[in-house]
Amino acid sequence: MRPGPLLAALVTTLRRNVAMTCAVVVTVTICLAMLGAGLLLRAQAHTVDDFLLDQIEIVVDLQDGLDDADRQALRDELAADPLVVGVTYESKQDVYERFRRDFRTSPDVVAGVGPDDLPASFRLALTDPRDAAVIVETYTGRDGVEAVRDQRALLGPLYRFLDAFTLGAFVLAAVQAVASFVLIYTMIRISAHARRRETAIMRLVGATNAAIRAPFMLESALAGLLGGLLAVGALVLAKIYLVDGRFARQTMFPLFGWDAVWVAAATVLAVGVTAAAGMASVALRRHLRA
Amino acid sequence: MIRLASVTKRYAVGSRPALCDVSTEIGAGEFVFLVGPSGSGKSTLLRLLLREERATTGLVEVAGRDVARIPDRKVPLLRRTVGCVFQDFRLLPDRTVAGNVAFALDVVGRPRHVVRAVVPEVLELVGLTGKEKRFPDELSGGEQQRVAIARAFVGHPQVLLADEPTGNLDPATSAEIMDLLDDINQAGTTILMATHNAGLVDAMRLRVLELDAGLLVRDERRGGYDNPDGPSETSPDIDTGPLDTPASTGPLDVPAQRPRVQAPAPTGREAG
Ligand SMILES: Nc1ncnc2c1ncn2[C@@H]1O[C@H](COP(=O)(O)OP(=O)(O)OP(=O)(O)O)[C@@H](O)[C@H]1O
Ligand SMILES: [Mg+2]
Repeated sequence: MRPGPLLAALVTTLRRNVAMTCAVVVTVTICLAMLGAGLLLRAQAHTVDDFLLDQIEIVVDLQDGLDDADRQALRDELAADPLVVGVTYESKQDVYERFRRDFRTSPDVVAGVGPDDLPASFRLALTDPRDAAVIVETYTGRDGVEAVRDQRALLGPLYRFLDAFTLGAFVLAAVQAVASFVLIYTMIRISAHARRRETAIMRLVGATNAAIRAPFMLESALAGLLGGLLAVGALVLAKIYLVDGRFARQTMFPLFGWDAVWVAAATVLAVGVTAAAGMASVALRRHLRA
Repeated sequence: MIRLASVTKRYAVGSRPALCDVSTEIGAGEFVFLVGPSGSGKSTLLRLLLREERATTGLVEVAGRDVARIPDRKVPLLRRTVGCVFQDFRLLPDRTVAGNVAFALDVVGRPRHVVRAVVPEVLELVGLTGKEKRFPDELSGGEQQRVAIARAFVGHPQVLLADEPTGNLDPATSAEIMDLLDDINQAGTTILMATHNAGLVDAMRLRVLELDAGLLVRDERRGGYDNPDGPSETSPDIDTGPLDTPASTGPLDVPAQRPRVQAPAPTGREAG
């Protein structure tokens, strides 16, 4: 069909079926917002990962005022440890640079800190990261050692939190997807009923199946697109007010950036439109006799 | 144009067949009445020609194609060569006269300039010039049927099937519709019209096929509504009139001058 008559058919369908289409849009919005939230939580986990991969697993913070000879002795001992494959020294200035780099997205955090507030440290690369606990135990409390930190272990709860919420979001999205399907199914049934005269005549005068189905698929895809746009709106608002406006002030970890939001938005829109059209085509198989 | 060979149609397994071993042939350009009591299988026969139903056994051919063997996605092409009108008009109430006719072209993807050019032509042919912008509920039954005929004819099908097109109309209006169908037939379209309207059939004296309980009991070249061989219990094999061997090639000899049914030509009459 030409775009003109197709659009006219779409308008009739929508007009006769406003309430149902709205219900579909709402459910699809919730479904896609959950999907988007899940994607952003995963992006957040990746952001933290990247941040940590950048770092050596174990950090040995040195006490201020440790003299060069003692430092060298400690370094030799660490290098000789069979569990350790590499040792790097970072001066207070080096640590400060790294800190500024890691927290570039949170200027509030950086502002109150200077090079002197941070300890110089050794960064250890382990042969097997699972031996971290042994290293921590061995070197904690040594002369000149302020603290031994296993950064991954510190982050365990964070990872568990992110994973749980990601899973939760995806499960909710799946539940909403089922609800969306049921509603789209019903919407198509009502639309098919409302347009039964038109479809009967279309069939009679030799319209192809594709032409007969097009208005219904379009109705559903449009509901999917609208739901997708609303969900993207919700994600953008969440990024501005929740992530940047709140969490950024409360956490020390770097947060996902706008690129992650746009990737999630594009995914959400594409999934919304194609899934809605696909669900419609399944429903049409049932409600439109070929 | 249309050929049925030993066609039997059973709607449900084991039920009495709606059509039973029907064989006949209709040449291009013919006008054929299909008569018979209620439930005799007239609509069933028309539905077979549109592939809305499939024959249980036997061969159904339309425009040289075995209808049963047309793949599903090509069925729309069959329906574009076979126009259709019904007793209940089946117009879209929220579209104007012109909109209803244009709909048939729009949905098969005809370009806009074609639609713009063809719709007024067809509306003029059926005598509805000046009423293009009316809605179906602002038209008389006869006018609504004209819209339906315009819609069926606008794609220039080779065959026009009419299932009791005058069933809801008074005699004078029926005669006008009959004249319109006759005009369309004179222009070359094959027409098969199922009807209970004895007056029309008797006045036209065209070929008549009579069904009774699914059996083809009469095929008469210039028949009337009633079976001259008496009540229709007769077996179809005994005497099917002068068309025992129907012409399979080309149109039958159409009478040069056909009787007009009482009403004058409808074109533009209501417009004035
Ligand atoms: N869809 C269907 N399912 C089952 N049986 C049907 C169906 N359509 C028609 N029949 C049966 O087939 C037989 C023929 O019906 P058909 O509609 O062809 O008759 P008809 O000659 O058109 O009658 P009328 O003059 O009343 O329109 C009838 O016995 C009818 O009950
Ligand atoms: Mg009938």
